[in-house]
Amino acid sequence: MIKISNHTHTALSDQQLQKNLLHVLEKTVTDRNEAVSDVPNWEELREYARQVKSHTLSRLDYYLEELESKVQGKGAKVIWAETPQQAIEFILDLAHHKQMNRVIKSKSMLTEEIHLNQSLERFGINPIETDLGEYIVQLAGETPSHLIAPALHKSRGEIANLFVEKVGMSATDDVVEITATARRILRDHFLTAQIGITGANFAVSETGTIVVVENEGNIRLTASVPEIHVAMMGIEKVIPRQSDLSVFLKLLTRSATGQKITSYINCLTGACRDGEMDGPREFYLVLIDNGRTRILRDAYLRQTLACIRCGACQNVCPVYQRLGGHAYGSTYQGPIGAILTPQLESVEKAPEHSFASSLCGACYEVCPVKIEIPHILLKLRNKTQTKKNNKAAHLPMERWAVQLWSWIMQSSYRYERLAACCRVMFKVLSKREKLKSFIPLLKPWIEYRELPSFPEQSFRDLYQSGEQEK
Amino acid sequence: MSRSSILGRIKGALDQARVEDLPRTLPEFPEYNQRVDKFREELEKAGGIFLDGRQPDQCAGLLTRVMEEANATEMYWETEDMLDKHGIPFVLGKTKDASQASFLCSYHFRQTVKMPINVRAKQYQRSQLGRISISASSARFGVAETGTTVHVVRSGVGRLLSVLPASHLVLLSEKDILMNGKELFDRLRLGEEGSALTLVTGPSRTADIEKTLVVGAHGPKKLFVMLTC
Repeated sequence: MIKISNHTHTALSDQQLQKNLLHVLEKTVTDRNEAVSDVPNWEELREYARQVKSHTLSRLDYYLEELESKVQGKGAKVIWAETPQQAIEFILDLAHHKQMNRVIKSKSMLTEEIHLNQSLERFGINPIETDLGEYIVQLAGETPSHLIAPALHKSRGEIANLFVEKVGMSATDDVVEITATARRILRDHFLTAQIGITGANFAVSETGTIVVVENEGNIRLTASVPEIHVAMMGIEKVIPRQSDLSVFLKLLTRSATGQKITSYINCLTGACRDGEMDGPREFYLVLIDNGRTRILRDAYLRQTLACIRCGACQNVCPVYQRLGGHAYGSTYQGPIGAILTPQLESVEKAPEHSFASSLCGACYEVCPVKIEIPHILLKLRNKTQTKKNNKAAHLPMERWAVQLWSWIMQSSYRYERLAACCRVMFKVLSKREKLKSFIPLLKPWIEYRELPSFPEQSFRDLYQSGEQEK
Repeated sequence: MSRSSILGRIKGALDQARVEDLPRTLPEFPEYNQRVDKFREELEKAGGIFLDGRQPDQCAGLLTRVMEEANATEMYWETEDMLDKHGIPFVLGKTKDASQASFLCSYHFRQTVKMPINVRAKQYQRSQLGRISISASSARFGVAETGTTVHVVRSGVGRLLSVLPASHLVLLSEKDILMNGKELFDRLRLGEEGSALTLVTGPSRTADIEKTLVVGAHGPKKLFVMLTC
């Protein structure tokens, strides 16, 4: 069972993490907002993308078969994997058969999801991550803590120390120097690699093209230098037409990094052809299910699979902003992780994910494909509680509390009285610090927060006194 | 077979009665009267260097500037066709084994480019590519909305020459500048001409450390786009 509550205290009391999160997320959100305000018909683009995804997901079998036949038509191979094991076995067989063990990788959340690196390492293949953020995370022996910026939880000082310790960089915390060191080291890996593994942001079924978006150039190299290119994607990444790309790319890059477009967008259709000067001789597309067909079954929850992994929901989420990614204990973190994890795994395995949200709705507001994350969270909470109730593990206290609350809220008189009581109580509490820790349920709440003061007068009082003055 | 069981599970999961239609018309994309100006503005915002080579007599001076900024004396040209297409005068020197040759190289004493350019064919060796300071390729299209150039890998063209060197020069014809991404995907079909199509906007970059922008992560650190007529 993955429990977020086990990690909250560590995350909240980690001063460095709090500083890093604050610094990076604020800038990312500002950049994103600026880039979006530049597009007058942003809402129209979102709605277009939502419709395309909704249509594609409800005809997924058709589009996957179309994609498969187009990719095969270009002489490439398509591999279907129901489970992570099947996908990993394919890579192992390929490496074994070709007698190749030098593998480089570009960033891919799917490969994180199936724990590709760890599995390959057990068989003596050590894939090298080539995205700078992923390389940092790999050197540290950690996992990514953000969809777009995997090493977001680390400060430049921490990264510099890591480079000094692991790759013998001379001491500096100059970001340019750190980047140059990584470029130098990874260049050697690129030039000797035999198999390159990438993910796919989109796969266009009408042309059999996979589209991979990046800024660094490491994907261009990963998909060009090695003799074999393997692209791994979840079955939900397919889109029907190349014209749809113009909309999705515009939404993705602005939502993810606030860029109008990224430095490079790679549209790859099969392996290199006769007459082309270089490029991989073989291209394999691995289509992975790993629980996705189960998510498809619920016509409402299905929209979870529309996600294009831009990370915008993480950046604006008040819970993610405080905890960072690792506290979620899962591959996908933040709001999208909160709805994806319980569905990919099960609500029993991730019972706290759907509760790690204040339901403020910011995630829905920024989602470029309009996934109704808050509503999905409620549905998943309901599922989680129902499962719990069946096991008779529900607290009677909780039911009574809700019943009491409902009784109070049904009468303005009772509500007024309760508010009056609270006003007195908070006044006393604000004067006597020690008392706070004696009130049940209050302690965990105020441990990392200030107790807000209750206003002297209620809105109703203020309104009435205003009326009298007239 | 995992194929049939995945497809079977998808079919079983989907309620075929309720399918939302695919939208038929794309949302509007911004249009520009002054495409060159917009292209230049966006390219420069993305950190690229714009050179206006529409006056043929200015090309030599501009190319000299490129060689100086790239601190290079040798330029690697992707194909002979590109020099023709962009109206750059050249003289092809003799090569021992022309059949093996794959791209052109020109040497510029003291980084100064003189017309016509003396080029000689060179054999393609992957090990050499890593040592090249600057290469030049021709863009199929430019996109004004984002300052992007579009590169198609096809017969005679590879993927690596434009990404490995520290600097990269793109030649772009003025008439090939399109307004936006919508127009781009109207004009070409993915995978038809070659195996790879790359949209390039500015130099290689990363912001993976504290969201601090660093130029030159894995690809070219400097990107020049020279407009030709």
